[in-house]
Amino acid sequence: MGLRQYSLINDPFQEKSEFTIAVKNVGTKEGGSAFLHHHVHTGDVIEASGPENFFPVRTEARHHLLLAAGIGITPFLSMMAFLKGMNQPFELHYSGSSEHECAFYSTIKENYPDESTFYFMKREQKERELKKVLEDQPVGTHIYICGPSSFMDTYLSYCKNLGYPDENLHSERFRPAKITQKPYPFSVTEKNTGKTVQVQSNQSLLEALREEGIPVPYACRMGVCGTCEVNVCNGEVIHHDTFLTEDERKEKMLTCVSRGKGHLSVRV
Amino acid sequence: MSIHSFPFPFSKEEYAYSNNSSLLDPPWMITVTDDYKKEIMLKRKLLQQNHDRCFRSLPISLESQWEVLRLVLHQLAEAYPSHFSLSQNGKEFKFQNHLLEEEVQFVFRDNASIDLEPLDIVGRHVQEDLILMGDRSDGLFLEAGQLCFPSNWSLTFVLGMEFKSIHYPVPGIKDSGFIEKVERFISRIGPNTAWERKNWSITISEKLDTPLETYADWGRLRKEVTHENAGEMVHLRVEVQRLYRLPINHDILFSIHTYLLSLEELVQHEQWLKMFYENIRTLSSDIADYKGISQYKDEVIHFLEKTMDDKEKMIR
Repeated sequence: MGLRQYSLINDPFQEKSEFTIAVKNVGTKEGGSAFLHHHVHTGDVIEASGPENFFPVRTEARHHLLLAAGIGITPFLSMMAFLKGMNQPFELHYSGSSEHECAFYSTIKENYPDESTFYFMKREQKERELKKVLEDQPVGTHIYICGPSSFMDTYLSYCKNLGYPDENLHSERFRPAKITQKPYPFSVTEKNTGKTVQVQSNQSLLEALREEGIPVPYACRMGVCGTCEVNVCNGEVIHHDTFLTEDERKEKMLTCVSRGKGHLSVRV
Repeated sequence: MSIHSFPFPFSKEEYAYSNNSSLLDPPWMITVTDDYKKEIMLKRKLLQQNHDRCFRSLPISLESQWEVLRLVLHQLAEAYPSHFSLSQNGKEFKFQNHLLEEEVQFVFRDNASIDLEPLDIVGRHVQEDLILMGDRSDGLFLEAGQLCFPSNWSLTFVLGMEFKSIHYPVPGIKDSGFIEKVERFISRIGPNTAWERKNWSITISEKLDTPLETYADWGRLRKEVTHENAGEMVHLRVEVQRLYRLPINHDILFSIHTYLLSLEELVQHEQWLKMFYENIRTLSSDIADYKGISQYKDEVIHFLEKTMDDKEKMIR
């Protein structure tokens, strides 16, 4: 099924040696979720890398506001257990299409009755209510947003307009921030080795370089950690990461998600 | 310190700045050496006499301190099963230090179950100094530490300070953007992953505890170095520094294991003598000042050159 990232939903303070993930069956045939739902059975062995954390809880916050939509709830399950265990104040605002479609509805209601609010309503009304919630927060509140891209974009930009500092806004995306609707193949010359590599439309620059034996370190493969950065010497880059600053983008790119147009030359 | 286990820090014959970090596998933050008992006893004496100087913490660090307590005890038992053991029953832990014939019991995250803060407990069982850096949304901050063997710095002074600010006195570190790169490097360290680097300086006399607070006692020794006593008095001081990302609280544990080796011992190793000499010789004056070497650099060079000459003569 290739590489996928899933949120761990365990209570971080539990004393068990196990990890729990939740996977929504989104139904596309080649997808990782369909594979896990239909082809993986108890007792099967799956190779997994160690956990990463690109969406940490900021314990210096005075208050935590968690904003979830749909299956975007998953990272918040372990966060809420953590915050509850730490006795830190938080509130969850969780929107879904219906109570029936809302993953972990009863678990959340049971464990966090005072902290959680659900939104099963028309988009306009939900936006009105959520925006009011965001307007009315104490200084030092950190906002965490997870859900579909359009949901995250809406509320991140609303929070910015309200004056929340960037340091207080946190989001985890299921997939890279911007997706090239149709990724085109391109070619890359790596200056140190002098090798030229073809990057196919269905592969990343990182994959292509590594297949050619050029050792680029990597970690998240989502354009958020910055490990796989390379220097760009020449050519046009389409950046898809959420890590590099505008200044850094003038001379760097993250090979796991960003692509080139036509021909690029880079230095690892 | 045995010359065989000394972590010699130089690999090139010229001094150069770098983030010379390497990934550690397994990611153990501690090393037990032959000097374990001696150094632990010194540590505990310092803690008893000057607790405020050797241990400081901010309230926000408490949860990470618990995580460090459990982690380091786990690692001790895993790395040195004949010296340490750790057993667990639910949230109750029992740690046995067979080298010291001591036992520590606690209930995880229950502050009532311990008399000292968690970091202050675990630090008494390892040779390393342990520093906790909080990974905050606006940077890394020094939030707790048990520091008995500092090389000319003060825990009291830096508590609560930002990682970058602490390091700005290092010559050239700000202008080049170097410290920002190091900070971003640290901020990228993944959970349960550890990195190691070696840092070096020089201490006059075989003294591990050289805090800023007692500078008057040990700093004056710098004036007493001559080319005749340098071999005995001057010690290469190497800090093996490790950085580890705590998986639950997402903060950074920084451990510092300090090793001292007298020049007398160092020069017995032909290759080390040559490399050390070249590094000291090519050291820029601002770095020599920063490391406190300027006062006696000529005497050390004199000693090293004479030693090399003597060795050459012996071969002839």
